[in-house]
Amino acid sequence: MSYNSSVNISVEAPIENQIQEITYDGTEIYQPPLTLSESLAKYAQKIDFSKTTELDIKKEEADEAKSDTDSKDALQSSLWPWDSVRNKLRSSLQEVCVLADVLAIAKDKRYLILDSVQQEPIETKPMVQIYARKKALQGAANVLLTGAEKLKTSQNEAARNRATLDFHIELLRLRQNWRLKKVSNTIIGDLSYRTAGSKYLQTGTFEVTKAEDEEKTSSPPSSPLPGGAAPAKPASALRVSIPSELQGVAYIEVLCQKDQEDLCSANINLLGSGPPPSNPDMHWQQKLEAAQNVLFCKELFNQLAKEAVQLQAPIPHMVVGNQIMATVLPGIQLIIGLCHSTTGDKKQPNPPPAKSEHDHVLEHSLHQLLREVHHRNTHHPFPHPATGPLGPSKKRMMAGPMAADRYELLEMTKSETLLEQIVKQAQHFIMRMRTEYVLDTIAKEVKDPLISSHWNTLNSPTQSCVKINISTHGYDALCRTPLVIHVGEKSLKCICRDGKVMNMSYEPQELRDLIFCHINQHQILAVQALAKTMGWQALGNSNHLGTGAVEPLGNASSCLLSSPTGDRIIAVRCEPQAGTQVSVAHTPRTDFFPSRLVTEKKWEHLGGQFRDVRLEKMEGRNFLHKMELLMASLTSNS
Amino acid sequence: MSLSRSLPQSKEALLKSYRTRLKDDVKSMLENFEEIVKLAKGDHDTQLSRMTQCEQDTYEMHVRAANIVRAGESLMKLVSDIKQYLILNDFPSVNEAITQNSKLFRTKQAECDQKLMSLRDDMAADLYDLEEEYYSSINK
Repeated sequence: MSYNSSVNISVEAPIENQIQEITYDGTEIYQPPLTLSESLAKYAQKIDFSKTTELDIKKEEADEAKSDTDSKDALQSSLWPWDSVRNKLRSSLQEVCVLADVLAIAKDKRYLILDSVQQEPIETKPMVQIYARKKALQGAANVLLTGAEKLKTSQNEAARNRATLDFHIELLRLRQNWRLKKVSNTIIGDLSYRTAGSKYLQTGTFEVTKAEDEEKTSSPPSSPLPGGAAPAKPASALRVSIPSELQGVAYIEVLCQKDQEDLCSANINLLGSGPPPSNPDMHWQQKLEAAQNVLFCKELFNQLAKEAVQLQAPIPHMVVGNQIMATVLPGIQLIIGLCHSTTGDKKQPNPPPAKSEHDHVLEHSLHQLLREVHHRNTHHPFPHPATGPLGPSKKRMMAGPMAADRYELLEMTKSETLLEQIVKQAQHFIMRMRTEYVLDTIAKEVKDPLISSHWNTLNSPTQSCVKINISTHGYDALCRTPLVIHVGEKSLKCICRDGKVMNMSYEPQELRDLIFCHINQHQILAVQALAKTMGWQALGNSNHLGTGAVEPLGNASSCLLSSPTGDRIIAVRCEPQAGTQVSVAHTPRTDFFPSRLVTEKKWEHLGGQFRDVRLEKMEGRNFLHKMELLMASLTSNS
Repeated sequence: MSLSRSLPQSKEALLKSYRTRLKDDVKSMLENFEEIVKLAKGDHDTQLSRMTQCEQDTYEMHVRAANIVRAGESLMKLVSDIKQYLILNDFPSVNEAITQNSKLFRTKQAECDQKLMSLRDDMAADLYDLEEEYYSSINK
């Protein structure tokens, strides 16, 4: 209670004494305080000698009542205050004396021997022990059996579900198709095109994990409908996790657009058409293929964007976000976009109608071009060092023996970039389309000579060829005008009937004019050929007539024919604008009246006035037919 | 270079660890079983009272049984690990698979090419006829 640090508190009895009685007048009569000897006696009485022997507590409890009475007696008698103390001391002395006597006798070991008390043994029957052991063995056996059962069921499960393929078989399949390696506790796969020659930096790693079969436990095996649909494909025991940047579906969108206004709506058909978006329960093979495709598209786009920035084009290419814009021909842009949909949303809003056609052919050629680059990266011409990543090209190796000069070597280093190649292909594509359009419209417009065009089957991405035949229906054998047009990247080359080569630019009007010119020539030539079969004489012809009204395009062509007897002359004039004009002159006139100027009939042989024939009023299917009829009628008349 | 040299070493260590795991597990099974049998015999004088001894034996048997089960599961795991190792590192079979695949794809490619060629020829012939017909017809 009283530690050094704290304040000392002394405990003492209260000064007030006990009140013995209170008189009626209120005065309190106190007991006289105990004297020193009295208080000692009081305390001595309180000593309980029996309590010191703690061994026999029971005895004490039994004696308690008695001792209580004793103490009461002592208090009540209190004849002599030390009486009880004396009694107790005496009894203890007696006990000690007895003990001493006993010990003295026991020491002799003649009459008395001290022996340890045998503890009462716990009664255990042997059967109980056996039962306990049996129970223990039973428990151990249970543990073993449940363990074995678990193993057995898992094994059975695997055996029963042979159809649902176990993890290792799936892994083997995966290993046969993809590159895998084990890094500490995880299996890492690689889906990049690195081994196929790609130099793209982005890694395409994926992780293979064992699929937890939570869905197996959650969905009880529903009984297959009788004769209904086939049971759902069992879930694969294998799961592949693909980095988020490779998830989803990507494709390269290639558009050829005409006007600047359309630029804003370029990437409208994102997600418009394409493979179905990836969902989590897709098979791993498809998932990996999709991811690989994403990686490939990214590499392709990356490469194109890099080239677009580097290339020095007359009209600079633009790279904005996920789009590259290159000018193919004046007014026509090639737009290459990377469409990557990461969200696997199935409920996409109804796809807006694609405004401009996505060009699958050009997309395919882009893929092909990059694959070629990959192939070139890995396949170097022999001989090359076995470990070397690079090898000189075949041309370069030949340069030494062939003593190539600096210019040639410089030429060798030039190689076409992907973008240049695709732009060329796009140009050719546009040129081909334009040519087709021009030929078709002319064929529609011009009915009289038939214009049939045959496209060559064999062509390259940047060159194709069309053969044009101009002939007249029913007179095919008589005359036909063949033309061959080579469609290049930015120009057209036309090889005419007479072997002349005409080079044209990308403007479709030039081709149109050329075809019209050839139509006129064809008509004139056909008429002459017809005249020959009819026995008429061709007096002369000209493909480029200098007379008459000036044509806006090209020149008129004409010919003159005379009947077998020479008394009729037909003049034919073909103009690109006005069409064909036919005039007939009779010499001599059947009715001759001498006048003052022309006195004799013989002067009529010099030739007379030409009169126009109204062709549209004539019978006949086409121009040549009409001409045949005309000639026939004129011939018979004579 | 050092990587390629260290790789077989680590592989060797891995294989050795598989072997030790196998031996350990089998040994553990055997030992635990022997101990259980020994406990079942039950003649040993100890200071403990019989009942306590019984309880202890029961508990020990349970633990040893569980140990056996664990060793069994560990063996299963070992089997699966070895399978995985084999699948991932069996390069001859992978090469074979690749060769087979490439052969398959090559034949497929040749087949496709052939089909495309014949299709192209057919289409070209038909196209010629159709063009002829179209351009000489009155309806264009």
